[in-house]
Amino acid sequence: MRQLGLGLAMAAAGLAMALQTARADEELPIGVIAAQSGSFVSAGNTIVGAANLAAQQINDAGGIKVGDKTYKIKLYIRDNRTDVNVSIAAARELVNDIGVKAIWGTETHDFSVSMAKITGPAKVLQFSGNSSLGAVLDDKAVADDGWLHYAFQSEPQEWQRSGSTAKGVLSLLTPQLKSPPKHSVVFVGNDATGQYLSSHYVKALEAEGQTVDLVQYPPDTTDFLPLLTRIKGMKPDIVHFWYNGDSTLTAFPQALKLGVAPSYFLFGVDPGIYQERSLKADVPVTLSCVPVCWGSSPFPEVKQYFDKYFGLGAAKGPQSSVSLLYYDYFFWYAKALEKVGKIDDPDAVVAELLKSDYKGVVSPVPLVFNKHHQVTFATEVCMVQPNTSDQFKCAVEQPPAAPPPGDNGG
Amino acid sequence: MDILLQQLVNSLSVASVTILIGIGITLIFGLAGIVNFAHGEFLMVGGMATWFMVGAGINFFLALVFAGLLVGALGYAAERCLFRFTLNRPMNGFIMSIGLSVILQHAVIRVFNEFQKSIADPVGQVWTIGGVDIIAMRAIVVAITAVIVAITYFGISRSRYGMALRASVSDRDTAELMGIPVRRYVTGVFIYGSLLAGIGGALMISLFPITPFTGSVIIIRGFAVSLIGGLGNVGGAVVGGLVLGLVDGLSAGYGYPEWTDAYSLVVMILILVLRPQGLLGGTLGPKAS
Repeated sequence: MRQLGLGLAMAAAGLAMALQTARADEELPIGVIAAQSGSFVSAGNTIVGAANLAAQQINDAGGIKVGDKTYKIKLYIRDNRTDVNVSIAAARELVNDIGVKAIWGTETHDFSVSMAKITGPAKVLQFSGNSSLGAVLDDKAVADDGWLHYAFQSEPQEWQRSGSTAKGVLSLLTPQLKSPPKHSVVFVGNDATGQYLSSHYVKALEAEGQTVDLVQYPPDTTDFLPLLTRIKGMKPDIVHFWYNGDSTLTAFPQALKLGVAPSYFLFGVDPGIYQERSLKADVPVTLSCVPVCWGSSPFPEVKQYFDKYFGLGAAKGPQSSVSLLYYDYFFWYAKALEKVGKIDDPDAVVAELLKSDYKGVVSPVPLVFNKHHQVTFATEVCMVQPNTSDQFKCAVEQPPAAPPPGDNGG
Repeated sequence: MDILLQQLVNSLSVASVTILIGIGITLIFGLAGIVNFAHGEFLMVGGMATWFMVGAGINFFLALVFAGLLVGALGYAAERCLFRFTLNRPMNGFIMSIGLSVILQHAVIRVFNEFQKSIADPVGQVWTIGGVDIIAMRAIVVAITAVIVAITYFGISRSRYGMALRASVSDRDTAELMGIPVRRYVTGVFIYGSLLAGIGGALMISLFPITPFTGSVIIIRGFAVSLIGGLGNVGGAVVGGLVLGLVDGLSAGYGYPEWTDAYSLVVMILILVLRPQGLLGGTLGPKAS
């Protein structure tokens, strides 16, 4: 009888401890708004994939210790259906009804800006991986009372990405060509993002001594032969397929068949995809990823990351690497919360993020936000050896210190 | 000169896939009286099925046949389960088809994934003749399209089935009184048009990668081709496809390249304003009763 009583007492004590532990593990609600349907789904799914992986890793490691409490991340994932109105509705729900402390997303500049008009007044932090946010993140917008005070751009400014990429492409291709390349054609989709991104990339190439022609194609083009024939007539040294990886993967094989140029650069095409598609060219081809390649990375941390990312069931696609525009910031945000010691002081968290750095997966150099809440890191560029699909040589050129002449940096 | 010749050859190959989808639409829209906005998704399903079969080791040309049959079966199911209930209310069918297109896109995403799919070029050769590059697979696509056009044209204009079908379009009630099983003919046209979409999808993926959203882009051109040529008119679809192909090729080569689509649509608008019945004339399309 005495043993039974002792057993019951121990069980009760164990239950009490378990309940106490459960109480100690409080929930930190974080929102994710991303396209899980509609035409941006390939990019959107990578945001969700990164968020799931980061939340799982943080929770498995014991959660976030803030003051005397431990928080486990609870993700509230909303599909924006590639629709700005749905993004706005989702942001309203997450901010007003659920009370998330921060939101990750979304794929495109105008959606993110629309969301910021809801997250800003509610003092909810927002991490968006859009390089084009540089156009709105200025002194006034990020000031204490500015409408973007709580927004952070988790992708480098476009002039930095363009500068880093242009340097990487030219450094890898120049030794492969009979004479140094002088004439580049930038081939880009004629949508808002394409226009914005290519304006910086053209300037970056010109800063590297290239004469540049810009040829824009209608978005959703599938048959590129007429346009590529036109480019062939321009006799370029390098054709740069810029911005949209899917369009590039459609156009590039057609360019090879027409023999448009003696060398190519494919933006947003991962070596893993190049290999999977068994693409092969008898001329040098360079590739770059947004921001680091999953198919051929020189960094072991990146390789480990993608093993885990794909291990969670994420599909391997041209945009899988986009997930790295979102992953590290969960850990950085968690670190900032721990440092601040409370989860309900967004101003202190913003201040902490701005004065701290974080050594993440995306960059061997610690990440730092500048005064406009923008991060800086390099873009990886790889060259595939001619007549192979799986032999890559990669380079990481650091971004330039300042925008090139004619680029206002915005 | 080489560049101009190359652009003319390009125009022909650009036109061929457009013609194929245009014929399917012109038959279903013009003869069966159904506005199927999901026709582009039928093409996409044909492309995805081809990708899957080629990936499983099946020869491309065999996969093309299977893709046609599969999408033909899909068309049969769609007509029997959905569109036959809207024959007297074409607008209902139109709205229903928009819903069907979204469902098909996301069904494909669910079954496979959202990423672009491609297959290796089944032929892989490029012939250079007089400075003009002719991609062998594109030449094959043009040839297959020509054969399908010929079969369809003679089937519609010369066979008993074709004549009965045209009679049904002219006066459905009288055709029924004459013993023509109009409903069955509508089903047959829908299946045939869908089969062509399946073949079109297979041919398309042999030239370009496709995504679950490819259909929603190409459907606009398909409708443009069928309207330019004249609804229900197979020859018209060929002419419409060639006109759009030529406009695409030459505007991309010599105009503002970013306006390529706009040039095509301006040409379509002009033709429809000047010849509302299309270049070669056709039916009036779906009629509510």
